[in-house]
Amino acid sequence: MVLFALLLVAPAFGNQYHAFVANLILLYIILSMGLNLLIGYAGQLALSNAAMYGIGAYATGLMMVHFGWPYWAAAAFGVLFAMVSGTLLALPALRLSGIYLALATLAFAQTTFWVMTHWTQVTFGAGGFVPPPLDFSPLPLTQSEGIYYLSWIAAVLLYLVAKRTMESPIGRAFVAIRDGEVAAQALGIDLLRYKALAFAMSGFYAGVAGALYSGLLGFVGPESFDLLQMVLHKGAVVLGGMGSVVGSVLGGVLLTVLVELTKEMKFSIEIAFGGLLIVFVLFQPQGIVMLFKKWLPGWVERLHYLPRDMQQQPAESEPKIGPGSSVPGSGPGPHTKPTAVEGDD
Amino acid sequence: MSSIALSVRGVGIAFGGVAALEDVSIDFPSGEIIGIIGPNGAGKTTLLNVISGMAVPDSGEVHLGEQRLTGLKPNRIAALGLRRTFQSSQLFAGMSVLENMMTGLHLRSTTGIFGAIIGTARMRAEEAEMRERALEALDFVGFRHFADRPGDALSFGQQRIIEIARTLIYEPKVVLLDEPAVGLSVNRVAELDALLRQIRDERGVTLIMIEHVIRLVMGVSDRVVVLNSGRKIAEGLPDEVRNDATVVEAYLGHQGGNEEGHQSAGQVDA
Repeated sequence: MVLFALLLVAPAFGNQYHAFVANLILLYIILSMGLNLLIGYAGQLALSNAAMYGIGAYATGLMMVHFGWPYWAAAAFGVLFAMVSGTLLALPALRLSGIYLALATLAFAQTTFWVMTHWTQVTFGAGGFVPPPLDFSPLPLTQSEGIYYLSWIAAVLLYLVAKRTMESPIGRAFVAIRDGEVAAQALGIDLLRYKALAFAMSGFYAGVAGALYSGLLGFVGPESFDLLQMVLHKGAVVLGGMGSVVGSVLGGVLLTVLVELTKEMKFSIEIAFGGLLIVFVLFQPQGIVMLFKKWLPGWVERLHYLPRDMQQQPAESEPKIGPGSSVPGSGPGPHTKPTAVEGDD
Repeated sequence: MSSIALSVRGVGIAFGGVAALEDVSIDFPSGEIIGIIGPNGAGKTTLLNVISGMAVPDSGEVHLGEQRLTGLKPNRIAALGLRRTFQSSQLFAGMSVLENMMTGLHLRSTTGIFGAIIGTARMRAEEAEMRERALEALDFVGFRHFADRPGDALSFGQQRIIEIARTLIYEPKVVLLDEPAVGLSVNRVAELDALLRQIRDERGVTLIMIEHVIRLVMGVSDRVVVLNSGRKIAEGLPDEVRNDATVVEAYLGHQGGNEEGHQSAGQVDA
């Protein structure tokens, strides 16, 4: 991807601030790809991504501070920890869907936030903490350069992982669950397995971003992982395009630039962002990647866009199975009458 | 007499105290088309849900050949070769028709996540093979030219036929069809009739079909089972069922003489 090549050489130009923003872009690319796997592909409306991001950052930083672990080990632990927490969230997702799942995961996120702010002995509370500086000693890199290249490598690898898996039977299973859980099951798809996988993958992505973030900022505090952060992740996914890995890359870039611009102009990020989201949902619900597909000939990504009529689609399994299920008259279409006449002869 | 593909033994299920099925026992001979009819609320779809594992019966058992299905999750039952369609179209709207078909073969894939990430040669071979078989299955129903269309870009009737093809791709032993003719035009119903016969004769698949289009059921079925208020009230050859007094009564209530029996049964419908 041209974009990744550009990002690789980006720090050579521009000042430290630009390099920092470029690094943030990489992190948001990772975050929005991970979240897209979960909500865009597997259709699990979870609001816990910022919490996973925070768990990754906290676990990494705290391991270094409390136990003196080296960064690589702490980061590995942080990623694993975020992935496991994410996977556990798949359990409620087996029973809940749509808005109920959103609420349950939101409750989880708020609890995580509360723990970050209040469990002072371990997390250092609302003020956050400063993990020890990183040393890339054999390599001639400063901390920010080192983190930058690490982020770049992670983003490229995770891009490939997302793209490859989503073009495999795993991707089809995710989309099948999104478009119709009951039908997916009837084709032999194990809901527990694939939901757990979707949550694990997005937890993994968020964990990687979190581990990198703790190294990038050299500071970890709860306010980086609040509800606004979650909205930003979701926003990046929607702007880029649900169900498109490339869309998430674009969304991550666009979102970071936008956030930094509003800071620059001292404009309320909430208002700017809220407005943009509304515009996109109303006029370009499939994200900017759809524009690319329309206007760039030879755009090849197989898209698993969210169908427009998704709201009425999700085969709500319960009513089907309930007692009312054997009332075919409730089915669509004027099917019975004309054929009744037919059978008359 | 051929062997029994699927047997339902003494199945009962109640929802909130209302019995949807009571002590229903049916043997489905393999390689036949069995029609299930009955008035609204008779428990037909509930029966399909019990067979396919989407509802757990309070009593009774379902066996596929020697294998007990009751208590297994729907995806396990699907893996054993029992597939179904639904009353409403259940094609995955965000995928192409071809991908929909390939999803029907999901269980044939041996690719794990690491294989997918690396893109192993085996995975690519499997994908190519699945694509080939998906195209063949589309050929069988004459819809190969729709392969690259999105699932939601087809007419309702086309989607339903492709759904049937999606169950066949796995080479199932038994397929349950929940009102396959809903919303089809008269010509399409005739095509469906031919397709069902072709599936039975060429593929040897046992088809269990709920249907309200009586002409289709009576024409294509080898046997017909009638449910009413959660009980099996009749079973037999289409002609036997058509003339069965209890069946006529179930549909029309007490309505005087028997002389109307045959003709009325012809319009039996919900």
